[in-house]
Amino acid sequence: MIAYLAGLGMLGPGLLDGQQGLAALASAGPLGAALRAPVATGLSPNEARRCPASARYALDVGMQALSAAGWDAARVATVLSSGSGDLEILDKNCRALTQTPAVLSPTLFHNSVHNAAGGYWGIATHSRAPTTSLSAYDASFAAGLLEALTTLPARRTCLLVAYDLPAPAALASVRKVVAPFAVALALCAEPPRQSPLARLDWRWQPRSGATETAMPVTEREALRQGNPAARALPLLEAIAKRRPTTVVWPCPRAGELQAELSFLD
Amino acid sequence: MTPRTPIHDYTIVSALGRGRAAHYEALLAGRSGLGAHTLGDGTTCTVGRVAGLEDVRMPDPLARYDCRNNRLALLALETDGFAESVAACRARVGAQAVGVVIGTSTSGISATEAAYRTADFARTGALPPDFPYRETHNVFSCGDFVSRYLGTAGPALVVSTACSSSAKAFATATRWLTAGICRAVVVGGVDSLCETTLYGFHSLSLLAKGLPRPFSANRDGIGVGEAAGFALLTAPDLPWRDGVLALAGVGDSADAYHMTAPHPEAQGARAAMAAALEGAGWEAGDVDYVHLHGTGTVHNDAAEDLALAHVGLARTPASSTKGATGHTLGAAGMCAVAFAGLAMERGYIPGTANTVAMDPGFGSRLILQAYAATVRRSLINTFGFGGSNCTLALERRG
Repeated sequence: MIAYLAGLGMLGPGLLDGQQGLAALASAGPLGAALRAPVATGLSPNEARRCPASARYALDVGMQALSAAGWDAARVATVLSSGSGDLEILDKNCRALTQTPAVLSPTLFHNSVHNAAGGYWGIATHSRAPTTSLSAYDASFAAGLLEALTTLPARRTCLLVAYDLPAPAALASVRKVVAPFAVALALCAEPPRQSPLARLDWRWQPRSGATETAMPVTEREALRQGNPAARALPLLEAIAKRRPTTVVWPCPRAGELQAELSFLD
Repeated sequence: MTPRTPIHDYTIVSALGRGRAAHYEALLAGRSGLGAHTLGDGTTCTVGRVAGLEDVRMPDPLARYDCRNNRLALLALETDGFAESVAACRARVGAQAVGVVIGTSTSGISATEAAYRTADFARTGALPPDFPYRETHNVFSCGDFVSRYLGTAGPALVVSTACSSSAKAFATATRWLTAGICRAVVVGGVDSLCETTLYGFHSLSLLAKGLPRPFSANRDGIGVGEAAGFALLTAPDLPWRDGVLALAGVGDSADAYHMTAPHPEAQGARAAMAAALEGAGWEAGDVDYVHLHGTGTVHNDAAEDLALAHVGLARTPASSTKGATGHTLGAAGMCAVAFAGLAMERGYIPGTANTVAMDPGFGSRLILQAYAATVRRSLINTFGFGGSNCTLALERRG
């Protein structure tokens, strides 16, 4: 099945936004560790104060992709994918529950739901379009991409946002995420008016024996393996280099998602 | 009009009991499964606890998945012959063609809550490296567990959109079937009691002091419940069973308003119901029964009542089962599908346990006590934190 990429956003080590990130990925140089604080565009000061880091990353990259695609948020369905959600908030809540008597903060409680980022997205964009939030652990990016791609036949456009952040100290022993990373893809069923970034011919199929597409450079491969959302890197690098290629995301014990990338001009 | 998706089989476990027959009888009798509970600060509330989870044993290869949430899932998979039904389907279409989509809000978080309370944690300030976070607490844990337990090898994911989670899981399943990615999908809703939700809803002053009384004038909040249920959805071209239920339409929307409060004009809820009706190709007058989200909080019930009127469903029989099961959060959509399914199969409309009279300010046709009726078309509503709404249209075939 065919989909088009009308715009993208990213934020991670050395990848400070979509445009700069593509240039960095097209070059052979190291990405480095520089980060930028994510921006919660569209929220009132009160909402922005409550908005947790995970949702800020989602809002930041989502807005980048929408703006690059030139889309009005109101009609765009969203899929938010995160392997572990916001572990900082989880840590604070679990600590509060060890106190006697236990008292939770109402804000931390409502921010602890996996779809908090989706909620803030709706508040920021005033969009009533369908939004879903999901996880497939380390396979969350491919699961989110599959969800977004299968949303296209009915909705025509869909914004995929994937993000994961490092765990706080108490949970770092059981959940390793090496650096924050978030990516957003503005996907559509028809060729967009402006030239698309890429055309994706995708399929879900039984395991073909093809290996998962990795990054040839060690630094980039470490990031890809160290953050579920960074499983997008092979796709992003191929787009950056405008290199026709097939990206394979095998899912544990299940089939695999394949996307054959091509570039129209 | 969207093509119908057969619901080949389904099962449910909640505080009301285990299996379809137990729920049919309890809902017909108007029984509540909720019991009294006291929080650490002395506050009284009610919870809907599933009996017998302490005795559930994980199979050895899945021992690391052992937690309250996955035990609850296992109990439901072994209820009403559901696991056998999936096995027969898997043999027919192949394990690769069977997907799994589970809806949950808190997954196995109680395992982590307990780990934080240990002396070890107090000493080291960290969970031990062998703590099974991925298998118990991570959002995906239950999807992974169900897929492994049932031996499916199609795509698997967990939808987590608070109280609309498992309703939205049905939407994902229909997309996979429509795209030809799967020939069958196991859809589930699993959420278990944990401190986070109890103390969290307490912090928002949303817990009822006694039994929750949805849609009544003196409603004062929810009772938190736990439940697990599963449905087996199949591609429309596979043979239909007699009298099978079908998913006729899905409507989902966002409130785009507030993290916890519903939109005061119920814009999101109205959009979800209207989209489900449109997807099913129905007019409001075609609907025989609405299974309300009906949580029992002041604002949610008022918004839902308003939404029903706007969509033209004010005269349609409607009821809430949350006074019977408690609010089962991420499992609420799956409970609603099972209860609307029973209504259509058994020919009755369930009542609204604990509610004696509807809020006189409301305009809906709230059913207080169950009665026999032919139900061919139902809507089920779910509305969650983050303004996440999902309405499903269900119909009885044959």
